[in-house]
Amino acid sequence: MIKNLLQGEKKVFMTGNEVIAWAAIAAKADIMYGYPITPQNEIMHYWTRMAPKAGKKFLQTEDELSAGFTTIGGVLAGKRAFTGTAGPGNTLMQEPVSMAEMMRLPMVIVIQQRGGPSTATVIYSQQETNLTCYGGNGEGLRVVYSTATHQDLFDYTIKAFNTAWKYRFPTFVLADGYQAKMRESLTMYDPKDRGIDMVPVEPILGKPGVPGIDRSPTHIRNTYNTEEELYDVIMSIAQDYEKFAPEIIEYDEQNINDAEIIIISHGVVSRAAYGAMLELREQGYKVGYFRPITLRPFPAKQLFNRARQAKMLIVVESALGQLAKLVKDAIYGCATPIENLSKPGVGIISEEIVERVKTLLKGGHFNVS
Amino acid sequence: MSNLIKIALAGEGGQGVQAVAEIITEAAHEDGREALYIPNFGVEQRGGVSIAFVQISSDQIRAPKFQKGDIVIALSERAIIRTKQYVDQNTIFVYDKSITNVEYLPQNAKYVLGIPAVEISKTELHPRVFNVVILGAVVKATGVISEQDAKNALEKKLGHKFEQDSNLRELNYKALQRGMELVEKVI
Repeated sequence: MIKNLLQGEKKVFMTGNEVIAWAAIAAKADIMYGYPITPQNEIMHYWTRMAPKAGKKFLQTEDELSAGFTTIGGVLAGKRAFTGTAGPGNTLMQEPVSMAEMMRLPMVIVIQQRGGPSTATVIYSQQETNLTCYGGNGEGLRVVYSTATHQDLFDYTIKAFNTAWKYRFPTFVLADGYQAKMRESLTMYDPKDRGIDMVPVEPILGKPGVPGIDRSPTHIRNTYNTEEELYDVIMSIAQDYEKFAPEIIEYDEQNINDAEIIIISHGVVSRAAYGAMLELREQGYKVGYFRPITLRPFPAKQLFNRARQAKMLIVVESALGQLAKLVKDAIYGCATPIENLSKPGVGIISEEIVERVKTLLKGGHFNVS
Repeated sequence: MSNLIKIALAGEGGQGVQAVAEIITEAAHEDGREALYIPNFGVEQRGGVSIAFVQISSDQIRAPKFQKGDIVIALSERAIIRTKQYVDQNTIFVYDKSITNVEYLPQNAKYVLGIPAVEISKTELHPRVFNVVILGAVVKATGVISEQDAKNALEKKLGHKFEQDSNLRELNYKALQRGMELVEKVI
């Protein structure tokens, strides 16, 4: 008996991992594949608790390589399939994700970042930014949504399935251990009540009919014999990626029009950055806020246009320059100085950002009013 | 965000600080306010100091953790050592009087309050409602939720047990009451 577990809008208070499981139910996901790793375990726990009631399935695999490849198997069979992992599991996951990039497979992966490198902490970081954006032996042709709130977790988990199936690129929801474990409120809803249609899924392999007679054969490959052949394939994938990027790119900016200083951050850190911006504004500083929501594709033009009008940029992140690298790449040619507040593996609060901005201004390096 | 209240609760595993945090934030959420609760968690499965970070506000809450708490509650000696870093001159620091070694108590807090919650729950009530005594202390010290909200939250969390044994409801309410009195006395 398949039950519709989500009826109407509902304000709830729960952990982020629970939110993701609910969002996957709301998105009509069919199956989750996974291997346990903190801090994403409870996505699996909640999913396995709810999935049978909703007529959905779960498979625990022997490791993350397998979780990724079985997710691909589910996708090939035409199922809305997803997986979740973190840290060293994300490292292993890059192998199947590379295959999905090459074959244009709509796999969905939720990442709850923990400290790194290696086992490090099970708690929190933003150190999987590089890996999630550009991991694997390829060109980073995937979509990465970086969430900041439980509402984001719900909204973007649903959206990830649609982005993946519409554009046929592997799609990540990039969160972290704080978001996984904390409780806060959000509104859950059935996507169709908000006019969000789920992009239909279909078998990619094993379609009905005889290949070559009833339908053209499906031939998806990750192996090529010649350099030229590979080149053509990659350039065509990259071209699609460039073409779709403007439709996919999302960002948030606040108080940016007259900003002399722009605080750039992503994910959970942007909550503190927003608070810092408000406080500095109250004290009379012309500070703006820029948050890329998609890290891949990155809102490069949008940031470039803002950055060149500012006098100073400050990149704030719980990693040692991983977001800064994306920012520098995006705004190449812009002469505005870039400063940092980098705390790898550690949370950042508004007060620290306020203090850092003030210290930079006191240093007198920047002529701001 | 002047109405933001930041609470850190710390104790030994099993003392129930996470449950207190859950009850307070659930109650605030039910009351229509923004609440955020995050436990600390590490690789250890048991035996470590357990800390809960709680924030309640009328506006959206920013970073999940904070540098300094408005109220910091430490229920063991190790918890005192771990939570000193969250104390400044605006913090009310509450510890349990059963901790005899007071050399680690913070010197910079606004108030340092020792309350005999362990003893009272043992002698007057039941050791299992120790954390409800603590809940009462937090409710009184912060005013962050009303007594009635706390009761409703207890009902929500333990209602199925109260159904089986109505004495439990009495016991929990009494524990809440006693916790509130303990703080009232010292403030």
